[in-house]
Amino acid sequence: MAQTTPELEPGGAIVETPPTTLSHDLHESTEAAEHGSSGLPQFEFGYWPGQIFWLLIVFAILYVILSKLFLPRVGGAIEARAAKIEGDLADARIARDEAERQSSEAAAELAQARARAQKTAADAKAAAKAEADTRNAAEEAKLHERLAAAEAGIQAGREKAMSNVRNLAAETAEAIVEKLSGQAPTRAEVDAAIARNAA
Amino acid sequence: MADPMHQFEIQQVLELPAVAGFDLSITNSALWMIIAAASVTLFFAAASAKAAVVPGRLQSVGEMLYELIHNLTDSIIGHEGKKYFPFVFTLFAFILAMNLLGMVPYFFTSTSQLAVTATLGLLVIAVVIAVGFARNGLGFFKLFVPSGVPFFVLPLVVVIEVISFLVRPVTLALRLFGNMVGGHVVLKVFGGFVVSLGALGALGIVGALVTLTGTVAITALEFMVAFLQAFVFAVLACVYLNDVVNLHSH
Repeated sequence: MAQTTPELEPGGAIVETPPTTLSHDLHESTEAAEHGSSGLPQFEFGYWPGQIFWLLIVFAILYVILSKLFLPRVGGAIEARAAKIEGDLADARIARDEAERQSSEAAAELAQARARAQKTAADAKAAAKAEADTRNAAEEAKLHERLAAAEAGIQAGREKAMSNVRNLAAETAEAIVEKLSGQAPTRAEVDAAIARNAA
Repeated sequence: MADPMHQFEIQQVLELPAVAGFDLSITNSALWMIIAAASVTLFFAAASAKAAVVPGRLQSVGEMLYELIHNLTDSIIGHEGKKYFPFVFTLFAFILAMNLLGMVPYFFTSTSQLAVTATLGLLVIAVVIAVGFARNGLGFFKLFVPSGVPFFVLPLVVVIEVISFLVRPVTLALRLFGNMVGGHVVLKVFGGFVVSLGALGALGIVGALVTLTGTVAITALEFMVAFLQAFVFAVLACVYLNDVVNLHSH
């Protein structure tokens, strides 16, 4: 460091360059201060212009560097992040809406398909039932017919048998009467007698 | 014990020829201003190098500082605060760098020089006055005439307002200067106690340990003060700028 003793204005105050010894006691420093402009090193006004000058220069340079270069870059990164988050959120929102739309569409399609299936099933059931009904009715009619025919046959058989019985009874009665009276009754008399008894 | 004021002594680093009778040599004070500004520049060069969407650690710190001051100008000055953000941010970053560098042993604290803090204070007020006249013309003087004050106390109020305005650079300068000098002197004195007590034998060592604990605690406090004073300077710069930017709504 420079150890020169600069001549300084104003008032011809001479700033003492510090002694090379690093530690000097308080007494020494107050003595030194009495020689200088004030007790504190900060009040050695001879060094003020240089500090003020360089402070303004350095501040101006730093201001230009920060305001033109780094602050826009940092701010840009923050804004880019905000924009990206905003954009991603918007994309996500669109994707969600699309998914919801598709899901409701699918649900609607499913409901439609279910309704169609139910209708088809119901139709098939109805058709099967109708066919079964007609078949049943036909079978039933056929059965009725056969039943009726059978009943008629039985009735005819019974009538025929009954008439045979009557004939047999008449012949028997004729024979019995002839045997008892020796005279054969006419067939008309016998029939009348049978009819009377049968009544 | 080492002289606690010795750390504030100005020394020439690079002698330059005087200009108009002023000694503009680079002193240790000016050197550490340059180092502080270079540190800020290097830090933001590194922090904004990638400008990644997902920030790294360095970029996060850079963005934190950015948003801290951005919120300040935004909340205090309002929408127009954007224009003054670079100025306030430069003030904040520059003062913070000088304060923090001063925390390193053997480094010089430029903000412990009244020449530096007074210049910064006057710079803020100069900008405030310039912005005030640029935006309001002669309406700038309405700053000293609050509305809704009865006319018979108005002269008194105007005098008070003018004085409070003129005191602003002084308080700006003295607050930062006092905090930095005070903290460093206290650290130096306590550090000196540790050494001198430690030389006194067993009891002295106990005392030295207590003092050492205190020194460590004060060091932590001083880091906080280093940040806080830079922040306070930025806040007050915003408040004073707001006075002239939003003069109509005063």
